[in-house]
Amino acid sequence: MPSQGERDGKKEKRWSAMKNRSVRRLTTCAVLTALALALSVAEGLVPVTILFPLPGLRLGLSNLVTIYALYRLSFREALLILLARCFLGALLGGNLSGLAFSITGGLLALLLMEALRRLRGLSLFGVSIGGAAAHNTGQILAAMAVLGSPAALAYLPPLLLCSIATGAFTGFVTMLLLRRIPGE
Amino acid sequence: MKRQVFSVCLALAMGAALCGCTGGEARKTVQFFAMDTTMSVTVYGEQAQAGTAAVQQAVNGLEAALSATRAESEIYALNAAAGMGAVPLSQDAQAVLTLAGAVSAATDGAFDCTISPIMVAWGFPTESRHVPTEGTLAALLPLVDWREVAISGDMAFLPAGMAVDLGAIAKGYAGEKCAQTLVDMGINSALLDLGGNITGVGGHSDGSPWRVAVKDPNAPAEEVLCVISLLNQTASTSGGYQRYFTEDGVTYHHIIDPATGYPAEHGLLSVTVISSNGGQADALSTACFVMGEEKALALWRDPAGLPAEFELILCCEDGRVVVTEGLESSLAFKGEANGYTCEIARR
Amino acid sequence: MGIPVKSRGADWLRPTLWDGVVIAAVVAAAVLLLLALRPAGGGDLRAVVTLDGAVIAQYDLSSPSQPARTWVDCPYPLLIEAEQGRIRICESECPGGDCVHTGWVSRAGGQIVCLPNRLVISLSAAAGTQDGVDAVTG
Repeated sequence: MPSQGERDGKKEKRWSAMKNRSVRRLTTCAVLTALALALSVAEGLVPVTILFPLPGLRLGLSNLVTIYALYRLSFREALLILLARCFLGALLGGNLSGLAFSITGGLLALLLMEALRRLRGLSLFGVSIGGAAAHNTGQILAAMAVLGSPAALAYLPPLLLCSIATGAFTGFVTMLLLRRIPGE
Repeated sequence: MKRQVFSVCLALAMGAALCGCTGGEARKTVQFFAMDTTMSVTVYGEQAQAGTAAVQQAVNGLEAALSATRAESEIYALNAAAGMGAVPLSQDAQAVLTLAGAVSAATDGAFDCTISPIMVAWGFPTESRHVPTEGTLAALLPLVDWREVAISGDMAFLPAGMAVDLGAIAKGYAGEKCAQTLVDMGINSALLDLGGNITGVGGHSDGSPWRVAVKDPNAPAEEVLCVISLLNQTASTSGGYQRYFTEDGVTYHHIIDPATGYPAEHGLLSVTVISSNGGQADALSTACFVMGEEKALALWRDPAGLPAEFELILCCEDGRVVVTEGLESSLAFKGEANGYTCEIARR
Repeated sequence: MGIPVKSRGADWLRPTLWDGVVIAAVVAAAVLLLLALRPAGGGDLRAVVTLDGAVIAQYDLSSPSQPARTWVDCPYPLLIEAEQGRIRICESECPGGDCVHTGWVSRAGGQIVCLPNRLVISLSAAAGTQDGVDAVTG
């Protein structure tokens, strides 16, 4: 029979282990948010608007962070990271109207990827391609709402085809991350 | 506790997202007839409704004061009292007449608001367009002299037989005045199209300037010569193609040369002036059309006596479109397909 | 170290056959959307005729049709001619005749104005303004 002291000791260990884990998760979330913001800035440098003249359109590289968070952490944390990076990104970039694009794209991608993730038979790549497609669809929906006309729909077909490429790319990078970075 | 914090953060984020979606996109456009032309005003922001109402009111007020045909206007009274007595003027009327005088002085009479008797002889204001006899014009030419308009304080006097028509300057002046009204209301994004005089208040909501195209004189309803940027400025165009008639196979347009009494034929199809002073832009577009390319560019290089700087786009009869330096960086030339060539005029 | 057990569902890190299904679905969606948008986009030109601010007629210029000529009962009667892709005022009893001088208009955003009548014909298309131009001077 463990003594009171030993039980307390074990409780202490469990409690500090738990605290360690939640602190760790919090810092992981923070690091991922920062990474997502950095990716946002980086992809902002790519002039997508040359091909598709919709101000606020993005490649969707930050989806990378969302997928990673979905696989490594939980849906709730992925959602939190998404909202944090959209909100912060809009504040830091001084561009509040871009918020509409990033939130709708990000949320749609997150929801679809969570759903796809549960499907057996789909690998990371299928999930991330689906996510990229959902991301672009979300952006077009935001563009239609902002412009007040369905004109933006015309850009969706080519964007969907692009999303296959960007989805494969982010899926590939996420795979590398998942393989190389130790889990809990 | 964590869950509550999470929910609050979520709610805040959603709220912020909604703000991003709807804020700043409110706008209102009104179209109406005034100053003998169509006007279209678009104001952006929360005060869009109030802004458009204010502009419409301001334009109607200016028309009531400056119109040469409305019996209640000061200019009508001024013309009616020509040779008899001085007439009191409102601030706007004074400002416009003074500006008109400054432009006349700087352009050596190429712009002359006292051209009214000649315009009436041609029938343009009354829409009974015809070619007047040489005798009629010869008799009326001495009545065209901007130097004879006497303004002292808030009173103005015209010699007998003379009359003033502010049609070539009023819309530009109105554009600038309305822009000031909007700025005073705190509106920083609006686009006013007053009969082809485009006045931009600020730029788009994201700060980018307004993109304004210049009509192609040979296909004014369909084609454009170029597109330039407008930020807190007015763009005004004068061209023979805007109003003309044909008699006995000869075409006569409405931009009369005050020196000859006949439509100005100095090699230009259209002139566009961009300036922060709206009335000046409007008056100068007429003046430069009358002056021709050389004198217009000379004036641009040395705008002594004019209240504001300006830039020019001259569409010449030989197909050259001359654009002054200041517009070069924002210029998008679209006329090559229709046989125009672009030239930049340097100081 | 190693693949976490925490995640649910298939988190295989190798592409599978079902991924191909996802890709095919995205491509199919793109193609279907393209086909669905074809007839609507591009040829959606409309002309609205207003008399003193009130809309008195509308023309759908996108569908092929015989040229339609209509006399408008306004202070100075005028004849509007509309055919596929363009519209004009071909005759007018107004004193100036500037509206007739304007000729055919076929671009979205274009206008024909008859001032004595206070009549305006405005062209618009679902695709919005052309070339991102906010206003036209002249």
